[in-house]
This record gives sequence, structure tokens and C-alpha cells, in this order.
Amino acid sequence: MPDAEEIERLRLEFQAALAAAATDQALRAVRDRFLGRKGGVIASLMKAVAGASPADRPLLGTLANQFKNEIEGALDDRRASLESGRPVAGGLDVTLPGRQVPIGHLHPLTQVRQQVEAIFSRMGYEILEGPEIEDDYHNFEALNMPPEHPARDMQDTFFLGQPVPQRGLGTPGTRVSTRPAPPDRPATLLRTHTSAMQIRYMEAHEPPVRIVAIGKVFRRDNPDLTHTPMFHQFEGLLVDERVTFADLKGTLTAFVREIFAPDIRVMFRPSFFPYTEPSAEMFIGCVFCGGSGCPVCKRTGWLEILGSGMVHPSVLEAVGYDTERYTGFAFGTGIERVAMLKYGVDDIRLFYENDLRFLEQFSF
Amino acid sequence: MKLIASWLRELTDVRLPVADLASLLSMRGFEVASLDPVPEGPLAPRPPTRAGGDDANDAVIDFEITANRPDCLSVAGLAREAATACRVPLRLPWDEAGRPISSVRAVSAPTPTRVVADGLEVTIEDADLCPRYAAAVVEVTIGPSPEWLANRLTAAGVRPINNIVDVTNYVLLEMGHPMHAFDLERLAGRQLRARRARAGERLCTLDGEDRALEPDMLVIADGSVPQAVAGVMGGAHSEVWPGTRLIALESAYFTPASVRRTSKRLGLKTEASSRFERGTDINAPVVALERACALIEQIGAGRRVGAVIDVYPSPRGPIDVTLRRQRIAQLLGTTVDDAEVLAILTGLGFDVAETADGWSVRVPTMRVDIVREADLIEEVARHHGYDRIPSHFPALHATAPRPDPRMARKTLLRHRLTSSGFSEAVSYTFVDEADAAPFVAGDRALVPLAYPLSEKFAVLRPSLLPGLLESVAHNRRREHRDVRLFEIGACFSTAGGEQHLVAFAWTGACVPEHWSGGLRLVDFFDAKGVVERIGEALNLPLVFTDLTNGYLVAGRAAAVSVGKTAIGVLGQLAPGQSEARGLAAGDEIYVAELDLDALDRLAPTADTRAESLPRFPSIVRDISIVVEEGLRSERLRATIRGVAPQTLIQIREFDRYKGQGIPEGRYSLSLRLTFRSPDRTLTDADVQEAMERVMEALTREHQAVQR
Repeated sequence: MPDAEEIERLRLEFQAALAAAATDQALRAVRDRFLGRKGGVIASLMKAVAGASPADRPLLGTLANQFKNEIEGALDDRRASLESGRPVAGGLDVTLPGRQVPIGHLHPLTQVRQQVEAIFSRMGYEILEGPEIEDDYHNFEALNMPPEHPARDMQDTFFLGQPVPQRGLGTPGTRVSTRPAPPDRPATLLRTHTSAMQIRYMEAHEPPVRIVAIGKVFRRDNPDLTHTPMFHQFEGLLVDERVTFADLKGTLTAFVREIFAPDIRVMFRPSFFPYTEPSAEMFIGCVFCGGSGCPVCKRTGWLEILGSGMVHPSVLEAVGYDTERYTGFAFGTGIERVAMLKYGVDDIRLFYENDLRFLEQFSF
Repeated sequence: MKLIASWLRELTDVRLPVADLASLLSMRGFEVASLDPVPEGPLAPRPPTRAGGDDANDAVIDFEITANRPDCLSVAGLAREAATACRVPLRLPWDEAGRPISSVRAVSAPTPTRVVADGLEVTIEDADLCPRYAAAVVEVTIGPSPEWLANRLTAAGVRPINNIVDVTNYVLLEMGHPMHAFDLERLAGRQLRARRARAGERLCTLDGEDRALEPDMLVIADGSVPQAVAGVMGGAHSEVWPGTRLIALESAYFTPASVRRTSKRLGLKTEASSRFERGTDINAPVVALERACALIEQIGAGRRVGAVIDVYPSPRGPIDVTLRRQRIAQLLGTTVDDAEVLAILTGLGFDVAETADGWSVRVPTMRVDIVREADLIEEVARHHGYDRIPSHFPALHATAPRPDPRMARKTLLRHRLTSSGFSEAVSYTFVDEADAAPFVAGDRALVPLAYPLSEKFAVLRPSLLPGLLESVAHNRRREHRDVRLFEIGACFSTAGGEQHLVAFAWTGACVPEHWSGGLRLVDFFDAKGVVERIGEALNLPLVFTDLTNGYLVAGRAAAVSVGKTAIGVLGQLAPGQSEARGLAAGDEIYVAELDLDALDRLAPTADTRAESLPRFPSIVRDISIVVEEGLRSERLRATIRGVAPQTLIQIREFDRYKGQGIPEGRYSLSLRLTFRSPDRTLTDADVQEAMERVMEALTREHQAVQR
């Protein structure tokens, strides 16, 4: 006669059989064995329950039905789980490469440039592009480099074969000009620095001035590992009341900490530029050796990163600013220089070959 | 400037180890290029006696001297900096005991510009180029220099020649003042005349070169011909040689701009010219002569005869510059103690007098770089130490102006083009003239460079395409079959000046090769799609018309315009252009170039207005027609738009077919027309009527036959 103990034993038997059934076929065999109409375990159990004493019958019946439902549920679950893991007809080799919509890469110089622009925009600077061809006045004279000035040798110049009208002023910003327009001068040279744009901007606007001029500049250097006759520069200029050398230090420190690393060490050292006084060169702790000394930093632990200084009063005078009331600072460097340090590029010429194997290394 | 540390210590009691000395000066603006051990052999007339002056602590430190500090192209100049930094006194041989080493009689001139004494006549004919000329006659016995002197010159990078030339070079290194020795007996009329060269005059210089002189060059001539290029190099004829018995020793001041111009013109840079062109001390010539004569006597090379001649028509004194205490703080953002300001400026050789609000500072003539207050503040800051100035952040007194929309547009185009699969190229602004010539537009002309680096860089680019095609060729040579590059940049012409353009070049597959499908190469319509995308980005409707130009394949080229304004070109590059760059003529390269300045002028600046979404369904109808080959799709669209009701919202070509079933000389075109009304649901009857009108018009105007 069946009793509760017998049902419990059958349950254990079922669980063992179910656990062992890993295929559809095995699962079907378990179903036949337990749920088969003829000779199935449940069928036999039901028959036996029917023959039990009237006193035992209600309890045994409940237990047997529960057991049957349990088996059906467990078998359905197991079948579903076996089916979900089975590939559909025509399954794929998921290890084959995916199909990508082609995407191009921004030039690394553009990527650095966009970061520079973003940093200084947040500091309230207006970003400008000046003309690439310039006249002698804006490129040299107004920047305290009269003819025959020895500093002109520092920036050996490409002259144009003939003067060219200067119509395009690049993108000189959106601030409305508040001063009379200076006389037009035809362009006679390729600008040697973006500083020329500072003069153009100051000629058109009263202080406060807060600009970054960015773009191509040209110097007579034959291409080698660290020189190209064309490169990109950005130069900042801030002119306002009460601007000090301390402000210059704070601004540039904030800039290099954002573009390189938040904990980078900085150092300022006296230098000479005709358009600043006092002048300073800014150094950062070598990004290759961390300051312990390597061939790149010539074992000094420092890398020169920016030229800067307080705007020379002659420059402010050239644009008619009151040098007693206004002071300012200016700074600048090569975008290639920043990119080479940031990305570990060891040959500047790579920036102009446009080799896709190079360009595609720079994400987005 | 190669500095021997022990030489510097002879002039001041700076007892730092050489590495510290190097770093001390470096932090004051004199960059250290190298630090090397001193060569073997004695470097001083007497072995060093002072404690700490030991040889083990010696070195040759090569400093890079900035263009504003010619005074530091000398041991004395650097010693003055080091002495100031260490707050110790400076002892210059020529200052000792407060009087000149050898007592001389300064000759006062019978006329201001011509002096005769002791068998030498000195005349300044051009006082603009030569404001001062001093000279002395010295009896000499030519021979080698003592070992220590020759060693010092060698260590400093100057080749020893003989005792007299070496003394002039020694004074040049020590004081920074260049001198020259002439063989007096070789000077016609025993004259030295500072005058401009005459047309046609030539001079064989010490380096053996025969040089043509020009009238704006200053020369030192004797009674008849030039004997030296003033401040640059002496002549071979009057050079000091082993048989020289009498010399005229020159110590002059030449105008910097003149020396610089002459040195550049002759392509001749010397130790002397590099000092004169930056500016020497106009009050040094006589002191330098005395120092040189004393040295000549000291090493037994000779003895001065008679007086020093000094022709100095308009003597210049030191200038006074005001320095306000308050201004130092205003410029530096920190205060510097009065005592420190005083110590720094006095140490550097300035005479300082206190005033109510600061100081009146007398600037010695050797400091050609100091002319105004800011220059003095830099001196204070340099020696106070840039590292002691705090870091601060400037206050913002005005809002930043809104960003320039033109720059935002360039950023937008960069995004559109990279998301179309193009990588960004940056090419040189100057290109080969032959490469540039085919891309010159109409009436424009190339802008040449006056002195290009090479033929490869001869002219400013008239177009971005020569550079892009060069880059395509570069990549093709490196096994990149599929190349998509774009560039944004300035181009130039004589008439138009500077112009900003955007261009792209595309060759190879139109989508990257994938294992799942065949390869399709780029064609005209792939390239046109990119141009259309640029138009969409800028919200400008572009019009494409047939174009014939020199560098594109006729029939696969289009002019691009907005309304009536031409903005660029698009098409397949002519095979000749590919071949000229070493590319296979059979490879199809598609290019486009658009005028960004024109796009900037035309692009709408107003914000996009959002339209409400359609509330009623649209109805789509397809028609297939057969028309004459050569009939442009644009015209069919115009005809359809001309007769269709407002409810026609889109026309799309979805199939174009030529060949079997279509008569020769005609093609079949299938069009999908979409109709929708903003205020009601259209009925079949509405659309049917419109379609009939369309078909009727196509038949009437283009002899279209419905298929």
C-alpha cells in the first residue's frame, strides 16, 4: 500500500532522474517513466491510491496530485531551459568580425587644438584664427621688433614673391569693433607667429582683452625630427586692469595641469621675447621619465612647454592702450609640441604625411 | 657662450660647485646647453691659490645667451650675474684700484672726427655707422701665446693664432668687446678710415674669400682701399703675420643694425659681428684697449707706443630710468623688499638713487636692453626668483563674447566628414608649382614665395587638392587601397588673397570590405552624397550642374552652387592627374572642394524651427517613365513640381534602367511620389488626379512614355 513515505521516496527518485537528463531524449524517457499512461509511476500510484482505505484516501490523493503537478512543472521547466540554449537553424559564427559603418579620425593636431580651445573657452577666452599671410607691421614692428632687430633672426621668415591683398582676416571673433579701423596693408610674408593676431584684435577693441589666437605659422626650417617649415601655434593674451605675473603663473599652471596631468610639476624661468617684459619660459616635469632624467629632457627632468611674459609696454603703446592703467600677459606654444609630448610622437614630420596608419591611431 | 668656471671665479668670489653655478645662472635666464670638463693643461697664469678655486671644481659651461643680453657674451657679464645672485662683490681687472691699468693720454681731437697721433691717423667719415673709433699703436714681437692663455681660448671654443690675435680674442671673451689688430706698416698712409664701401670695391677677408662690398657696408679703409669689413672680419692684406713689428689696435663701436645687415648680406657671422649686431658697450672701447695693452705687456708680446686715440664725436652717457615701488607689485603680483631691490640693481651695475616713490636708476651703457621701467622690473624679478612669485588667477571683468559661428561650422564639418568615414589631413601650405598649376581657378594666379626652401615648397597652394592627392599617393604606396581624406584650410591667390576651403579625396572601396559581401568601389554618387551631407549640415540647398574643367573627367564632374553663387566642384579626377602622382590611371579617385568663406556668408544663422509632426497619413505612388537619354533628372523634378499640388511632399528616384526592353537612346526612370496634407486625410481620388496631371505634363514637356 502506498503511504506518504513511499511518495517521498518516489520524489527523490524523480529528482535524481531529472538531474541526470541532459538531452531531449533523456527528458522524454523521464516523462514516459513517470507520467506514462500505462505503467507510469504516477499512473500506478493513482491506481494504488484508488485502492487505499477510505480513511487514508483523501490525504494520499492530495499528496499524489501534488507530486504529479510537481513533476509536470519540473519537466516543462527543464524542457524550456534545454530549448533556449539550442541554436536556431542557420546559426552564426559569432567570432567573425562585425560590419562597421566607416568612421574617420580627426587629425591629432585638431584633437589637441580642440582641447586647448575648450580649456581656454572655459576660462573666458575668445578663440580666434588670424590670417596666415601678414604684413611686416603686424608680424614684427607692432610687436617691438623694428627692422634690423636681432630677434627677427629667431623667426626666420618666408617672404611672398609679391604683395597680396589682405581681404580675409581669418575668423577674428564676434566682439564688435570699438575702435577705428587701421589702414589696410598688403600681406608680404607668411606669419611667423600667431602674435600678429593679438595686434589686430587690440587695434579693434578696448580692454579688457582675453583671446587665444590659434593656427598655422611658418619659419624657414628644413624638415627634420623636430622641425618643419610650417607648424601650428596657439597664443593667449589677457589685458585688463591689475593683471600680474602671478596671474600668468596661475593661468598657465591650470592649463598644463588640465592638458597633461593634474599633479604635473611646473617651473618658470626668465627668458627673452621682444614682445614681453618680464619674459618667462614655462617648464613641466618630464612626461617621459617623471623627472628622473632621460634623453628626451636631456637629463634635466624638465621639458620646455610655453613661452610667456607680461605684455611689453611698447606693444600696448603700439595699439594705443594706456600702459599705466592696463597690464597684461601673453603666452604661446606649438600645438605639435604639446601633441608630441602628450602622445609620445617622436618625429614631427608624421603630422604632415597624413599616413592613415598614423592618423587611425588617434581615437575619434 | 662657453664659460670656464675658474675664469669666472677670477672675477668674483662665487664658490659654488659648477653644477650649482650652472643652475644658478640658468634660473636667471641663461639656459645651459652643456656642461663639460675643462681640457688638460694650465688655465691660469698662476696656479690657483684661493681656497675652493681647485681644478676639480672647474668646468666649461655652455650658456645660451638670449638676443637681448650681449653684455653676457662675456665672462665679466656672467660673473656680474653670479655675483649679484650670491650677493658678493665683482672684481674686474680693468676696474681695480679705481683707475685704468696703464695710464694713457686721451687725445683730444683737432677736429671731432679726425685724430693724428704717434704715426697713426684715424678718421670717422660716417658717424652714423661708426659713432666711436679708438685705436692704439703697439710695438710687438709675434709668437705663440703662453700656454694658459691659449688653453683658455681653446676651452672657450676659439682657436689660438698668435699672441696678438689671441689677446684681442681674450679681451673679447673676458669683456665682450671685439677688437682687431692691423699690421700698421701695411696700411697705406698709416691711416684708418671708417667709411662706407665704394661701388665696385672688393676685399679679400681673413678667411681667404674675395668679397664684393656694397655702398651701405661700413669698412675700415687705409689711405686707399678697404682693410676690414667693420665689425665683421679683417682683411688678409693687413693681417698680423709673424713678421709684424707694429700694429694698430682697433677698439670701436659700430651701429648694430649696420653690422647685422652687412653680416647677413655677406653670409658671414663671426664672434665680433654677433656681439656688435646685438649692441656692445659704447663706453668700452678705451677700457678694452687698455686691458689689451696691459695683457700684451704682461705676456711679453709688446708695448704700447704713445697715446690711445679716441675719436668719439658725440659722446653718449648712461640713461636714467624711473622705477616705482608700487609698479613692481602691480606687475609682479608680489612685493619685493626695498633692500633686495637695491641689492639686485646695485649688484648688476646700476647706480641707484632713492626717490619719493621708488628709485631713479642710472643704466650703464653695457646694458643696451634696459630702456624703461618694465625692463628694470624684469631685473628685479629675475634675481628675486620667478619661483617666489605666487600663483594666482585673474579676475574676469567681462563676459566672454559668443563663439564665432564660423569656427563652430568648421567643427561641424569635421564631425560630418569623419562620420562619413574621412580622416582629417593636414598638408603643407606651400606646394610644388607644377603640382599646383592645374588647380588654379580661372583668372587667379599663384602666389610664389620669394626664397622657397626648395622647388617642392615654391608656391602657396591655390587649392587643397594637390596636398590631398599627394597624401592619397603616399597611402597608396603603403598598401592602403581604400583612402578617404579631407582637409580644411587656407588657400591663396594673388587677386583673392586668403580663402578658406574644405576638400576631400576618396578612392578604393565605398564601404570597408567585409567577409559577408562583395566589394563595391566608390563612384560619383558616393562622393556626391558626402557633398550633399555638407549642404545639409549647413542648412544650404546645393545645386549641381555639369562642369568641364581641366582636372576632372568630363561627364563625371559637377559644379556646386547655392542659388547663383558658385561654391565648388565635385567629380572624378582626370587619369592624367593620378598618373602624374604615380597613381594607376585606372584607379578612380573622386574629389570635391568647396569654398568655406562663401558657405559662411550664405549659411543661415537663425535657429532651426521645429515643425509639428504630421497628423495625417501619406499616400505613395510610383511611376515608371521612359525618356530621352541626356534629360536631367533635375528637369523632370521641376516639371513635376510645376504641376503637382502642395500636397506633394517628396519625389524620389528609385530605379534607373537602360538596355533590354528600352529603345536605344532612351532610359527608364522610376519615381516615387509621396503626398500628404497637413489638415486632412487625402483620398485616392485626390492623388489620382495629381498623378494624371504629372504624367500629362511629363509627356507634354519631355515626351515621356509611361511603362
